Amino acid sequence: MNVLQLKGITKEYQLGKSAVHALRGLDLDVGQGEIVALMGPSGSGKSTLMHILGALDTPTGGTATFEGHDLQQLEERRLVELRGHKVGFVFQTFHLVPTLSAQRNVELPMVFSRIGKRERARRAQELLKRVGLADRAKHKPNELSGGERQRVAIARALANDPPVILADEPTGNLDSETGNSILDLLRRLCEEDGKTVVLVTHDPEAAAIAHRIIRLRDGRVVEETRNV
Amino acid sequence: MFRDFLALAGASIAHRRMRSWLTVIGVFIGITAVVALISVGLGLERTIDQEVAKLFGVDTFILMPRGAFGRPGAARTSANQFSLDLAWLRSVDGVRTAAAVRQQTGFVEGPAGEDGRRVRGFFPVVGLSPELITEFESFLGTLEVAPGGRLLTAGDEAVAVLGHAMARQMTVEPGDTITVQGDADAEPLALTVVGILSAQAQDTPQQPAFAPGVPDSPDTIFIPYETMGLLWGRAEDVRLTLVKTDPGRDVNEVAARAEAHLRAQGTEVSAVTYTDISEAIGTVTSTVSAFLAGIAGISLLVGGVGVMNTMFTSVLERTRDIGIMKAVGASNANIMTLFIIESGLIGLVGGVVGTFLGLGVSAVTSAAIGRVFDVHVAVVASPMLIFITLLGSFTLGAFAGLWPARRAAKLPVVDALRYE
Ligand SMILES: Nc1ncnc2c1ncn2[C@@H]1O[C@H](COP(=O)(O)OP(=O)(O)OP(=O)(O)O)[C@@H](O)[C@H]1O
Ligand SMILES: [Mg+2]
Repeated sequence: MNVLQLKGITKEYQLGKSAVHALRGLDLDVGQGEIVALMGPSGSGKSTLMHILGALDTPTGGTATFEGHDLQQLEERRLVELRGHKVGFVFQTFHLVPTLSAQRNVELPMVFSRIGKRERARRAQELLKRVGLADRAKHKPNELSGGERQRVAIARALANDPPVILADEPTGNLDSETGNSILDLLRRLCEEDGKTVVLVTHDPEAAAIAHRIIRLRDGRVVEETRNV
Repeated sequence: MFRDFLALAGASIAHRRMRSWLTVIGVFIGITAVVALISVGLGLERTIDQEVAKLFGVDTFILMPRGAFGRPGAARTSANQFSLDLAWLRSVDGVRTAAAVRQQTGFVEGPAGEDGRRVRGFFPVVGLSPELITEFESFLGTLEVAPGGRLLTAGDEAVAVLGHAMARQMTVEPGDTITVQGDADAEPLALTVVGILSAQAQDTPQQPAFAPGVPDSPDTIFIPYETMGLLWGRAEDVRLTLVKTDPGRDVNEVAARAEAHLRAQGTEVSAVTYTDISEAIGTVTSTVSAFLAGIAGISLLVGGVGVMNTMFTSVLERTRDIGIMKAVGASNANIMTLFIIESGLIGLVGGVVGTFLGLGVSAVTSAAIGRVFDVHVAVVASPMLIFITLLGSFTLGAFAGLWPARRAAKLPVVDALRYE
């Protein structure tokens, strides 16, 4: 069964009299345990698409389903659970809480899912170690470099061990060595834990870990290639 | 869960230290005003209570004609004198001692002058129980005798103390004799003058002698209560009775019993105790405190609007944070709880600071009032007042945060995240 399914998705933004068409009738299926890379020029609608997949935004038209449930039909309570437990989202611009340390940012999803203090701290430290930031746990976001923030955001996405990871340019700010270790982490999560991964990237090397590469242009899928 | 939210709220407050402090200041100014005003008001009320009790005596009550004391506008009976059996009153259970004041107008004749002529005329005659002087000193007021004379004492019979104007008019000195004619069918009595009231004390009254309605004019003749009986018979002309109760007895209970008994006999009297008096004063002072509290409430309202404003901008600033929290699984209820705690904490800190400051201001004010009026003004720091203030300031803060928090929680996640 497809974990994620988009059918005829459109997204329009009304700017005064003119409308911006970010997505223009888009179909997409992502299977369980699959890694899918989204590529495309800037402004082609990749982030918009990711937000719809993660139930953070609603499409103007079409249907988006998650594990067979129509996202538009789900009650707020189920959406909250979905965002907290089913999906780990890595934002293009990280979106860390500026008042909290790296560790507490990673703990945040676990606070809302009512995981005990000690267990939370243990898991946050373990995740920070996995992204190579064990010694930055006490730093606030403004005391971290761009790449470090990106890795905190990745650690946070993994906090509640979600089955689906949506990563918007997770290696965009990283040198190739750190970037490769993150890509390796994502690949292992897929192979060893059976997680489903959708990642947005401009980097062919990053796209190489994906089973499928989907190219977008002007809000439409223009090409789909399968890695072998 | 709550502790985690507390920690999150604490981190946010600490992060915006300057703004948080400004908000706290806005709150505590209001709270300080409220606490200080209420505390001073309560302190004054208690002080008045204590002063009244001290002056009046917690074991004393007054019997006076019904309507002479009470709410303004209350029906007054036309009679301002009543009949009383003083011996009976003294025998009432719980009564230790009693003193009464009777008043009549008598035909008085002075001693023969050098030319053999006597001054005569109708003058007010007031009969006083000697207990009035020995037991109820604080009610005597200006009843002060000029040097060379004395006041009435127990065991006195045919004696009189004269007002100074009357004494001058009749050219009477202590030791002289005057005659007083009571009821038409009674024999005139010869009374020895034992004292003359001091003109100075009587003409510059600091506080009126006795209760309202008892003559204290310079031409009054004061004679022993018993002697009144010889001149006018049974006491049907009592203006005032002072009663002291046995130690440990409830003065209000004894007073009510005596009053009920007298009324049952058709004697229209009111028993007044120190609680009645301080209640009467209390209605005035509590109106004043209510007015002060109203003013304080307005400053609290201003503080509340300040908190609202600060919370609103704070939430606006944190719209993106709210988006992040929702993106990682926070429910709207979580967000609102978080912000209610955050603004409630600010309110509470403001409340704690304001309460202490308010009590301090109240202590200083009370000391100043005490110095001006030469009384010890109690500083009232009732736990109830403190508890209500703290609860109130938390609630105020929390409610001020509720509305903007609700607004932010209702935003779609992506819109919240995109907020600059
Ligand atoms: N809130 C908005 N209001 C108006 N237009 C928007 C809004 N968000 C996105 N768009 C428009 O939608 C289009 C797609 O934006 P999107 O962020 O999905 O692009 P992207 O593919 O992620 O680009 P990039 O590679 O630069 O991140 C853009 O043309 C953008 O201008
Ligand atoms: Mg993008």
